[in-house]
Amino acid sequence: MEGDIFAYIELKDTSVRKVSYEVLSAGRKLRDTFSSKLFAVVIGFGVDPLKDELKKYADSVIVVDDEVFKEFTLDTYSSALYDLVQKFEPSVILGSHTGYSKFILPKVSGILDWAILADLTGFEIEKERILFRKPLFGGRVISFVEVKDGKNMVLTFRPNSFSVSEPGLAGEVRAERVEVKKNERVRFLSSQKKEGKKADLQEADFIICGGRGMKSPENFKILEEIAEIMGGRVGASRSVVDAKWRDYEEQIGKSGKTVSPVLYIGCGVSGAIHHTMGIDTSKTIVAINSDPNAPIFSIADYGIVDDLFVILPILKEELKKAKEEV
Amino acid sequence: MRIIVFVKQILDSEAMISVKEDKKSFQFEERFSLNFFDEFAVEEALRIKEKVKDCEVLAVSLGPKKAQDVLRTSIAMGVDRVALIESERYSILDPTYTAKVLSGFAKKEGFDMILCGERAMDDENGIVGVLLAEYLKVPYVGSVIKMELKDSRGITVNSEMDGGLFVYDVDLPAVFSVRKGINEPRVPNVTGVMKAMRAQIPSYEPSSFGVFSPKTEIVEYHSPGKRPPVKIIEGKTPEEKVKKLISLLKEEAKVL
Repeated sequence: MEGDIFAYIELKDTSVRKVSYEVLSAGRKLRDTFSSKLFAVVIGFGVDPLKDELKKYADSVIVVDDEVFKEFTLDTYSSALYDLVQKFEPSVILGSHTGYSKFILPKVSGILDWAILADLTGFEIEKERILFRKPLFGGRVISFVEVKDGKNMVLTFRPNSFSVSEPGLAGEVRAERVEVKKNERVRFLSSQKKEGKKADLQEADFIICGGRGMKSPENFKILEEIAEIMGGRVGASRSVVDAKWRDYEEQIGKSGKTVSPVLYIGCGVSGAIHHTMGIDTSKTIVAINSDPNAPIFSIADYGIVDDLFVILPILKEELKKAKEEV
Repeated sequence: MRIIVFVKQILDSEAMISVKEDKKSFQFEERFSLNFFDEFAVEEALRIKEKVKDCEVLAVSLGPKKAQDVLRTSIAMGVDRVALIESERYSILDPTYTAKVLSGFAKKEGFDMILCGERAMDDENGIVGVLLAEYLKVPYVGSVIKMELKDSRGITVNSEMDGGLFVYDVDLPAVFSVRKGINEPRVPNVTGVMKAMRAQIPSYEPSSFGVFSPKTEIVEYHSPGKRPPVKIIEGKTPEEKVKKLISLLKEEAKVL
């Protein structure tokens, strides 16, 4: 690989998402190996203050702060990123496979006619070659993929695939103005953003997931409370979403989201393959189920076979204690 | 008005699958299905057709001969016409290659709207739609959960991205990828199924839409590392079990 690296920074409102630090870590690893320059690229409205934080993780921070980015339209963001690519000529663009990035980055790869690899979980460097790790079939096969000409590539990564590297760089900061092309054929009318500062389900370090065994939507309250204590999120199995107990946004599995938290706790989740495909890359999996034969136990690291409604209140108190000790 | 729906046949999630010893390929049980998210795209196209006059819905798949099955499913649901762009065997393709072949087809055929599912469940990319739109130089909106046709030239769409809801007015022609929840796909009726069984499926070579070479290549396949067997936590009381679990999560797994 040769050439410089763009790390596209995905935001939550006007703060840097955790996954963006992971992307910067991936970029740092490539930078150190190939002696490239790492740029952190942030595009948005009211994002200028982020530069001081980001410069610790990159050789250069490019900030484009403009009111035109207040509302998301794919064309404005993509044309800005494209413009920066023309100006700084990187040969690799990295980003997360979440939020707006999962639309902006493929679009820019299309404009540039570059290669794209999406939803990667890592890479290995073999001499000059880079082999990118990409799970297929819900993680039942792992493929290693190469970009044929070794440059001009856009790469998006799955959250929680890299640990966040230490800061330690002291990048220069450049405020850039770019040419923004609006697409008159797509007109933004309105948006409603969800309230709350909760982490995105796919980015959460802690997920407590409820299945049919939760018996009723009201019983999810305790899962909410546990998630709150842990600073994590509640997930749901497909049957629970189909029964309209929980939102589709929370659905984990084949037809929902793929997650890889540090700790996943499945409560009354049977663990059909449709579900386990979505949690396979979690670091530690705990299953709580009254049925000792539930398939979830075949993928779990730790299991408790007992009545959920007895276990959960105790678990809540114990997690609270554990959290307070730290 | 012409709507093209790109549908994909994927390996069923319950099919057996394993990596071959040479790591260069994988073997699988021949159990396929129509990609879950594409059903919503077919359904949405049919719902638009029911509302406008002179609308043709065309379902198209890039895949091996066996992918005829998903086109038959589409016919049974009610699409007017289908086409198979026939590749050699079932494999994971480079997304830019797929999008270029499909855009070549769309250019040749002409279209007012292209619909696709938000991602395929085999490669899990979810990027062919946006690439396709870019190669065709038409607008794109992803994660669409509601579509309302205004007239033959414009449509209002609701898109759910990043936990927010966005409403856009889009001029046609355009490409949209739809997500679960946009509709409830219909179950084909007997007449539809009979029609599908009899249908002739026209087939094309990918090269008839241009010569494209993949930009990426899968070098090796690996089996995922097996997780160690589960530790079932024993204890006389629920309290004891939970306490043991917490200490294992702290000391052994080091995740608390």
